Amino acid sequence: MTLRESVVDALVEVRVNRGRTVLQTLGVILGVASLVAVQGLTDAGRRQAVSFFSEMGGLRKILVLNKPAKERVQSARQLASVGLTWGDVEALRREVKEATRVDPIASVPLMVRTPSYLKERDISGLTPDYQAVYNFYPARGRFLIDDDLASMSRVVVLGDSSARLYFGNEDPIGKTLFIGDAGFRVVGVMRRKEFYFNEGDRNALEWMNRVTIIPITALYTRFTGDPDRKVNYINVMVDKVDNNRKAAEAIKTVLYRRHGGIQDFEVYNREERLRQEESQGRVFDVTFMVTGIVSLIVGGIVIMNIMLASLRDRIREVGVRKAIGARGIDVALQFLVESILVTSIGGLAGLPLGMLFANGITALLGQPAIITPKMAAVSIIASVSTGLVFGLYPAFKAARLNPVEALRYE
Amino acid sequence: MTAAAAPMPAGMPVISLRDVTKVYDSGDSAVHALRGVDLDIASGESIAIMGPSGSGKSTLMHIVGCLDVPSSGEYELAGTPVSRLSNRELARIRNQRIGFVFQAYNLLPRASILRNVELPMMYAGVGRAERQTRARAALGKVGLADRAPHLPSQLSGGQRQRVAIARALVNNPSILLADEPTGNLDTQTGREILALFDELGHQGHTVILVTHDMNVAAHAKRVIRIVDGRIADGPGGEQGDTGTPA
Repeated sequence: MTLRESVVDALVEVRVNRGRTVLQTLGVILGVASLVAVQGLTDAGRRQAVSFFSEMGGLRKILVLNKPAKERVQSARQLASVGLTWGDVEALRREVKEATRVDPIASVPLMVRTPSYLKERDISGLTPDYQAVYNFYPARGRFLIDDDLASMSRVVVLGDSSARLYFGNEDPIGKTLFIGDAGFRVVGVMRRKEFYFNEGDRNALEWMNRVTIIPITALYTRFTGDPDRKVNYINVMVDKVDNNRKAAEAIKTVLYRRHGGIQDFEVYNREERLRQEESQGRVFDVTFMVTGIVSLIVGGIVIMNIMLASLRDRIREVGVRKAIGARGIDVALQFLVESILVTSIGGLAGLPLGMLFANGITALLGQPAIITPKMAAVSIIASVSTGLVFGLYPAFKAARLNPVEALRYE
Repeated sequence: MTAAAAPMPAGMPVISLRDVTKVYDSGDSAVHALRGVDLDIASGESIAIMGPSGSGKSTLMHIVGCLDVPSSGEYELAGTPVSRLSNRELARIRNQRIGFVFQAYNLLPRASILRNVELPMMYAGVGRAERQTRARAALGKVGLADRAPHLPSQLSGGQRQRVAIARALVNNPSILLADEPTGNLDTQTGREILALFDELGHQGHTVILVTHDMNVAAHAKRVIRIVDGRIADGPGGEQGDTGTPA
């Protein structure tokens, strides 16, 4: 008996017993739908996290932060360390060979004044590398250049929101912004950055639109007068994602040595952070996954029971088939194909339902879910393997029927 | 039907049973269904096996039909010893060498007439096109060519039994084994079916009719009576249970 003819027989059985088939497929539909939903949510979450991070410069980025000492009474060595400095930046540039850019950020609150605005704002002292590190470029005018740094120029670059705040609808390029008592010429306005995790949420990247940027050297000389040239944090761009961990270790080694053996800094690997966030999201996924698997098991048991009941109705048929030459394997295949067909129907119905689940949930969260090849693969694998596993027992029971007894069965 | 259906030369025993017994284990006691049967059936022979229920008639038919194997003794079918074949090999012999016709027709209710007749060829691995050609030809020979797409439930009892005969013959078996083939039919239709068996016999098929009905048995050239698990009298007799118990 060919597989093809077994499928024909199974299709006839399924068509004749429509009501029974619906009952059989319910569990599988729910199970597959749950698993498809898990896959959909995982995919959607991952896509969103990756696109959020790429808006801020991608995954090849390591963040080094100052960490205040935990101990209330600090040792002499701890007191001696001033935290991250310009010197650290230069050391990292020299010694971490996986680093393509090392970009420090120093920030102080200062009074900002225009004819229509007067308020204290955080002023960021930056280097030209900032653009590449944050994937953040000017929309009009220009960004800081090396010359600005070397000559401690009094130039300022504004975020989109800051520009509006300080100058309203006027074009700020060429205008003067007073920071503290010094006049700074506006040379550029940055492109607007937007990212919404959920529909109707606040712009998660609004802080980037609110920057006020001056050369880091100008910040040191004109405002802080800081002899240590302290920085608030350092972004290190790594040549490739695979080197993230290695680079992070190298950074730690360099800083540990320079800070006299105390760890007053923290190193964040962005790729690891993404993974952590994903594993948190998984708690949610696991619920669905367990629901899905339980549904499939229950559905499989229902299928097995109904197949056994159907076998009881068809014992005589099995006897006839054996009498005219069916081998055990032919009979087993016939029943197995039937149960796999039934679960495949469940899988087909479960796929769009799982999409609806995923979309329903993501609509609440405002995340988009799309159907992916992975989801289709999940539904096929889950449904076919359920049919296979739970169809085996009825199939072998049918195959082992004694033809004489089967023919006599009333 | 052509005489070429039976592969053995006429007169040679196609079926040969030697001291065949069958013992069933029925809980605490053993049931001796056959107590030593010797039987030769020649190729092309037409034979009736008679006996009351419980006589072992059905058991003998099952063994001859390779649905079951003897507990002891030897059975050769067309020269092949089949007493100790595996289930798989028995299935192949049933498929190739034996055609069954049952009292209750035993057609698959959800398959078309054509598909029912195709079924033995499916198990024989015959390709689709050839299967359909041969199935249509077999249906033509029993006068039902125009019913191919119908379901069994759309046919009368006599027509269903004709379909069953077409199915039994479609793989060109050496032996046609019919178990009470007229049991569910009215007298007139039963006569028509028996006439068909007569015709098949004349064409050279080995026909074995299992029945308790004298009128049916009368269509066979030889009648064998089974009583209490043994063949009751000598060959060729229609004279009843006069044989001496062995």
